[in-house]
Amino acid sequence: MSGISRRKFLKSTVIAGGSAAAAMTSAKSAFAMKEFQGYPDSMGVLVDLTRCIGCRTCEAACNKEHNLPEPALPFDNLSVFDETFHEGKQKRRTTDKAYTVVNRYAEQEPGGPVYRKIQCNHCSEPACLTSCFVNAYKKTKEGAVVYNPNVCVGCRMCMVACPFGIPAYSYDSALHPEIIKCNFCYDTRLKNGKPPACVEACPQEALTFGHRKTLVKTAHERIRSNPGKYVDHVYGETEVGGTSWMYLSSVPFEQVGFNTTLQHHPILDNTKSFLGIVPMVLGIWPAMFLGFHLLAKGGKTENKESNAGESCK
Amino acid sequence: MKSRKIWVWRGIVALFFIAAPAFGTVDEPPASVSIGSLSHLYSEVVFDHDLHLSVTDDCSVCHHHRFGKGVKEERCARCHSESQGTFSARCSDCHVEKPFSVEHIMMMEADPKRYHIDMTGLKGAYHLKCYNCHAAMGAPSECGDCHARSDAGDRFYHSGIYAPAGGSPTGKHE
Repeated sequence: MSGISRRKFLKSTVIAGGSAAAAMTSAKSAFAMKEFQGYPDSMGVLVDLTRCIGCRTCEAACNKEHNLPEPALPFDNLSVFDETFHEGKQKRRTTDKAYTVVNRYAEQEPGGPVYRKIQCNHCSEPACLTSCFVNAYKKTKEGAVVYNPNVCVGCRMCMVACPFGIPAYSYDSALHPEIIKCNFCYDTRLKNGKPPACVEACPQEALTFGHRKTLVKTAHERIRSNPGKYVDHVYGETEVGGTSWMYLSSVPFEQVGFNTTLQHHPILDNTKSFLGIVPMVLGIWPAMFLGFHLLAKGGKTENKESNAGESCK
Repeated sequence: MKSRKIWVWRGIVALFFIAAPAFGTVDEPPASVSIGSLSHLYSEVVFDHDLHLSVTDDCSVCHHHRFGKGVKEERCARCHSESQGTFSARCSDCHVEKPFSVEHIMMMEADPKRYHIDMTGLKGAYHLKCYNCHAAMGAPSECGDCHARSDAGDRFYHSGIYAPAGGSPTGKHE
């Protein structure tokens, strides 16, 4: 190999590499600009655990609203709070027959017991939605994360992706199994400007319905004006980039079954910058390597020619 | 003409006498109050006002700063320690039946300087006041202790005659 061709080769490599890096940086900034802060008029619900008395009226209201199957026990039977699964490690969770369940925690605490209602938290940037490759999920402008069973292929990736373990699957259905989860009463209520059935039914107004923006303020105001009553944190304000359903608690959130190790930006962010580069890699790399190949090949022929010229001399 | 004037005056005087007892008794507590504007799953609550008067000697425990020995809650006293009583003793005059209706949410958000943005609805106001005190004082605090459940309620909770086969027939606390 002659000195000229190596220099040429290195030079073109630097140029190719530099342009690719520049393309990547510009892609990153382009995606950063598109950061989604949630729909401006998104509705939400603030769940105040200090008000919940574990009456399960929300569960009954949900069952009625969505014509869900008859429960195994009446909704006023409070023995369900003693039910545990996986050798006592897991409390009740949402199933294909219950979009929402209430669990009891911190029985031994001075202020206890504390009851916690779980349902879909309707993330601002839902991981279930981004994990779905057939676009079965949709985040509506009202804040609901809704699911379309007609396009679902049943891969259950959303169940894995959900940081709260909420979507359930109707394994019992042999012909039309589908994902079952809380839909914020979107079709029956939310899109008509009505609060979800559970919110309307709650006797203690532990569930407050309103614009998410207002609820964030309300939540902080409750914390501020009742010193010592609440943990100074609104769960769901920033967790996984923010959720439409948020929680206030008087006991540390990890004691009432919340995952407090979640990141404070959307789960999609973990892959967004990488996935944005993939098409560019597919576009640039073939051209770049073809260029390397041609350069390398061209150098060789040049060498051969010059060698031939030298030998002729 | 003159006789008509006399009749008008007589009418005004009569009206005064008819209305006077109402003005006179505004601060006399009722012995009992029926609370049932929201009753659906449960029948109305017959609230024994006299009984509750014997439990506490201070009306402001329940009536904010309408009656009694001033404002109880420290949070409210910051502004209301010197203020006049509220215009009404009725919960339903301030706490609305549908706090989450579009109209109410818009009304609460319309004034950016509004302080009381976090007012509970009527059902929330009743239960937060009554239930929380009952639970704290060790008073009866099962749902049925204050209001009997209606047939619609039994159906709603899948309880009583609507209980699922194999479920607990009474649906009571453990």
